[in-house]
Amino acid sequence: MKRFILFFLLSFSINSFSQKQIPSIDLYDFQREKINTSDLLNNENITILSLWATWCVPCIKELDAINEVYEFWKEDIDFNLIAVSVDDSRSHRRAQALVNGKGWPYKILLDVNQDFKRALGTSFIPQTLIIKNGKILYQHTGYQPGDENYLYEKLTEYEN
Amino acid sequence: MKNLQNMKIKIFYYIAIFLIYSFSFSQNETYISGSLESNSQLLQDDNGLNFFSPEDNFRSNNYFQLDFQNGNFSAGIQYESYLPSALLGYSEIFNNESGIAQYYFKYEDLKNEIKVGSIYEQFGNGLIFRAWEDRQLGINNSIKGINYKFFPTSNLEISAIHGKQRNGFEYSNSTITGLNSDFDISSILKFEKIGLSFGASYINRYQENNDVVNAPENVNLIGSRLNLYLDKIYINLEIAKKGKDVLVNEEQIVSAKRYDGTAMQIDFGYSRKGLGINSSFRRLENFNFYSDRLSEGNIYNQQTISFTPALTKQQDYMLTNIYVYNSQPRLVINDIEKRVGEVGIQNDIFYSFNKESFLGKYKTKLAVNFSYWSSIEANFNPDQSYDVEFIGNGKRLYKDLNFEIKNRWNKKVSSTLTFVDLSIDKGVTLGGPLGVQGDVDARIGVFELNFLNKNNRNNRIVAQHLWTNDDKKEWVGLVYEYALSNKLNVFVSDIWNYGNENDLHYYNIGGSYSNGPSRISLNYGRQRGGLICVGGVCRFVPESNGFNLNLSYSF
Repeated sequence: MKRFILFFLLSFSINSFSQKQIPSIDLYDFQREKINTSDLLNNENITILSLWATWCVPCIKELDAINEVYEFWKEDIDFNLIAVSVDDSRSHRRAQALVNGKGWPYKILLDVNQDFKRALGTSFIPQTLIIKNGKILYQHTGYQPGDENYLYEKLTEYEN
Repeated sequence: MKNLQNMKIKIFYYIAIFLIYSFSFSQNETYISGSLESNSQLLQDDNGLNFFSPEDNFRSNNYFQLDFQNGNFSAGIQYESYLPSALLGYSEIFNNESGIAQYYFKYEDLKNEIKVGSIYEQFGNGLIFRAWEDRQLGINNSIKGINYKFFPTSNLEISAIHGKQRNGFEYSNSTITGLNSDFDISSILKFEKIGLSFGASYINRYQENNDVVNAPENVNLIGSRLNLYLDKIYINLEIAKKGKDVLVNEEQIVSAKRYDGTAMQIDFGYSRKGLGINSSFRRLENFNFYSDRLSEGNIYNQQTISFTPALTKQQDYMLTNIYVYNSQPRLVINDIEKRVGEVGIQNDIFYSFNKESFLGKYKTKLAVNFSYWSSIEANFNPDQSYDVEFIGNGKRLYKDLNFEIKNRWNKKVSSTLTFVDLSIDKGVTLGGPLGVQGDVDARIGVFELNFLNKNNRNNRIVAQHLWTNDDKKEWVGLVYEYALSNKLNVFVSDIWNYGNENDLHYYNIGGSYSNGPSRISLNYGRQRGGLICVGGVCRFVPESNGFNLNLSYSF
């Protein structure tokens, strides 16, 4: 146990020099094309990344709500939205039907064995992140209607 | 035991040395990330529920994960503690345990990935192999061993895995070996609008048969799959076969014969903007597989190798979650019941009304789902063999029809109306033999309203009712949730089982605070007993009363 504590402290002392970086994990799109999160997010574009699932009501509410204002946001800010589904093989096929049925314009990626979710240390979804140059600038867990306005404020704040 | 402890400490030192070395000499920046999750409960007696809290009425599950990445190398550990006992309803193997439950080292470059330690992996859709973690279900069936992935070209992936499966803080007494390949055919044939890929996998379990006379030491599973995309249409096919194994029910070998098993799944989808359809057909005959042959059918889902979740819609509301289907892939042969598996279909339709139409003005979105699952028809012979139909006319286990209509009336008000009509076999939902106890027929209606008040704070009201003449009869439920800020929200809820003489209320009150990477939630109230299902895998939780505290933080 002592060693564990020592190790723990060591890790925190190193942590103070490190930056919060998006983990490098392979995800797949609906066509089974492999896409690496580092390749995707290590650029100057500002990206909203949302972890969601077909069975998560607040997740779908959030993505529906952003869809309503997506065009207006796009007029003001140049951003991408990537929605990473953590549905496992039980429900990831429903994800494609759901995304199209709802007409979401987002890039959708699949994390079927939750490798990305685990690497991010996410316990609860929805988890919404704002990312630029591969760094996590902002994150929030959970969704209540109206939260999208706050996300928009953050987006304008980090745009520059 | 002491040796094991010493070994763990040694391994620990190796990790530390490796990391310090890599930090000091590497040209690359080291990234450190991690997370903490803590779920605790304080139970109390409740005469109304007939619940008497156990002596260790404080229970806590804790997870601390730490990962390092430096260039092509990465490493990590996970510490877990279940002190003094795991949460109620978790497998008892976790009780009073704590320690470094998992660790790994990984090297990866463009063509190779080598990982040693605890490995999560799935082949294809997991039909013959899935190793994963679900803390809500108390599942962590990672494989401790070595995993090698090779990417010779951008369209071919080959991987191999070899090791022992985790079982609580110990390991299963078998060795698991697996091979998998995925091959993207369309990129080779230079198809533009067509996606075509093929995959094949193999799993072997080696387990000494010791005193178990008839048990094979090696059991093999093979699976293959084909995925086809044509613009708006997709078709996926997957088949698998399990080699002959002894038949185990409730830790006992129940037949002198050996039995093999098969699985088949077909998915069909069509989608365009505003419309999405998905249909799945699946047949599972004697298709569950565990790393220990004697753990077949254990209620805590420990030591599972195959992943065959229920394919029905996963429900989200308190009353729609009472009668949920759980997949039935088992072969059972005894005096009370005989069955070989399940077959059925699941269909989803999602539709958004055109913006110009009347319904489109209110952003009407429609989701319809129906499913039907039954036993596979089979005739059993006196020598414990059976003759089986592909589908046949087996006993119906479950059917449901769901409607969900979502509207956004204006910028401040939105609503969801849900209706479910279902029939479920009493054996599936309440336990006991399948197909002989009759059904529970139930209808559930849910109305959810969200509206922002003057200060743009959200109010959420969910009213729900369940009608049935079976089991515990009628229920009514109400939830009210208020967002005090975008970080803090509180709720009160009650579901009232008023239809039967017990006349029970399951009240709850609580709240959560979420700020950046941290979240804390606290609630007090009664837990309804029954199946808790995540991703189609279900765990039984007993009724209880008390406080629950959840903390999570990531960095």
